[in-house]
Amino acid sequence: MKGLHLLRWSGSVLSPRTRPCCFIHKYPSQYRPQPFNILLRFQSSAAVPIRTISEPEDDTEPQNPAHYTLLPSPPPSRALSSARLSALHARLVLPPRLPLESLARCLVDPSADTNPNFNNASLSILGYDLLGYYTSEAIVCRYPRLPTEVTFAAMSAYCGSKTLAAVTREWGVEVAAAPGGEVDPGVLQCTRQEAGNASVNGTGTQFKDLPKVAEDPSTRPNPEQQRRGWSRGATSKTVYDDDFGDEIERTETDYAERPELRQEDAQRKAKRGVTLEVASAGFVRALMGAVYLHAGKRAAYNFFKAHILSRHLDVSKLFEFRQPTRDLSKLCAREGFESPVARILSETGRKSRHPVFVVGVFAGKDKLGEGSGGSLDEARIRAAIGALKGWYLYSPLEVRVPSEATEGKPWEPVLVDGGEVFV
Amino acid sequence: MPVSALRTTSTAQNGVGAFILQCKRLDFHYCDKWGSSKGMNTFLRSPLMASFAKAHPQITIHISPRPNTHPIVRGSYINGREKVICVRNLEKEQILQKVELLRDANGEKVTRVRGGRVVGSLNEGVRGLWDPFHGVKKGRLDEILGGMGVSNKGV
Repeated sequence: MKGLHLLRWSGSVLSPRTRPCCFIHKYPSQYRPQPFNILLRFQSSAAVPIRTISEPEDDTEPQNPAHYTLLPSPPPSRALSSARLSALHARLVLPPRLPLESLARCLVDPSADTNPNFNNASLSILGYDLLGYYTSEAIVCRYPRLPTEVTFAAMSAYCGSKTLAAVTREWGVEVAAAPGGEVDPGVLQCTRQEAGNASVNGTGTQFKDLPKVAEDPSTRPNPEQQRRGWSRGATSKTVYDDDFGDEIERTETDYAERPELRQEDAQRKAKRGVTLEVASAGFVRALMGAVYLHAGKRAAYNFFKAHILSRHLDVSKLFEFRQPTRDLSKLCAREGFESPVARILSETGRKSRHPVFVVGVFAGKDKLGEGSGGSLDEARIRAAIGALKGWYLYSPLEVRVPSEATEGKPWEPVLVDGGEVFV
Repeated sequence: MPVSALRTTSTAQNGVGAFILQCKRLDFHYCDKWGSSKGMNTFLRSPLMASFAKAHPQITIHISPRPNTHPIVRGSYINGREKVICVRNLEKEQILQKVELLRDANGEKVTRVRGGRVVGSLNEGVRGLWDPFHGVKKGRLDEILGGMGVSNKGV
């Protein structure tokens, strides 16, 4: 694998950003109170020296602090004077090569500032892919026989948006009540979605009682199949869906590429901000992307290991079996073992109120699993589950992941399993 | 579908990977007139305060007057709670001790942990729980397997 030239790729992040000087006309809805005053000021007589409010053409600080309210998000120059921001930088032990301005940009959600030069959308896409790559290689190399559905669940447990929202909370990141240029750059800036029980424009009705808009447009190639009740199989999830097996929603980037989609979607539903979970996940992903761009691959991987992979997850608790005995016999047939037989190992109190049976599942003379339960069936099923988990949770002793392949030692191929049984 | 999965989240183990200091903000309140603030005012001007702030960049430090009251130090924590210590009539070294106490706290209510040496862990014990029904005698297993010979090998 060849190393990438970061600087060539990350021009928009590492170079100074400028806001177009016509930005007020571009975002009329967000600057409504202030332009009115500006117009008055332009119309006043020339006896007073004309003091036009210079529109912030680039990152320079507006002369009057009141003009911060013109901006949808804090200007990058204010990042250096924010105590919260530098405390966050120190708390996460971020590499010194990651400047405070970039950290501040990670905290601006696209729902707060739609300008892609100032929000974290691009960093967040990069961070999403990096997190997905590092997490998936860690899971797949550590548990090569894990079924697809369980792999999706483990992915979502490590870097799904719910987990990343918890990570943001545990980092001590606060959320701004409303985004704006005057807000401290050290808080997460996003426009929050209305609560379901908030009243609509002061009327008595609540948002959740409004008539439901048409279903979200699917990003799958054949969305009408779902409406007909076709199931989404695990195989199609690996092809069409995201890292967690969930359907992909359209993002701001899709809209930027194909603006006609936005109109189409806007007709379906009026977008009212994002949930805190989405904004928090975007922040963590953007930070991952920013660390990668500024400090390189090694630092990004260390950041991932320190904050995401070090979290605790018991993969054996993610399984949910429907018919474990059937699965086990299929598995034994596929792998060429003798067909499994359940035998009672010991029992007590068969005629009593609380009998206990200990049952083992044997393939020939090899014991595959053992389970105990209050009835023979329960014990047999537990034994089959134990045997299946013993197979699926196989983990090699020494785990090396492909992203370490570039570092000196020659790469040895890891085990690739045939996959779970199909019934 | 043979296996489906349950969606959960992973749980944080602070200090296993990264360590996040739980105290995120310290407020120092002082009074210019009252004698109980004498130690506090000395502390704020002394190099103790500067070196503490320099050594802990992850804590935001706010210093503000609070006239006609005793001086306090207030710590704010990541879990949303606050801890306040009144430092009236204390010397600057004593105040530093209180500040370090606030820094090292995690913001939870102070509760007594009973049971002697208590170690909490999220991992299962490698030996498993003791169970009276397991550990089949060798002869019994032979009997179960019909004299095929014993092999307790997992897959």
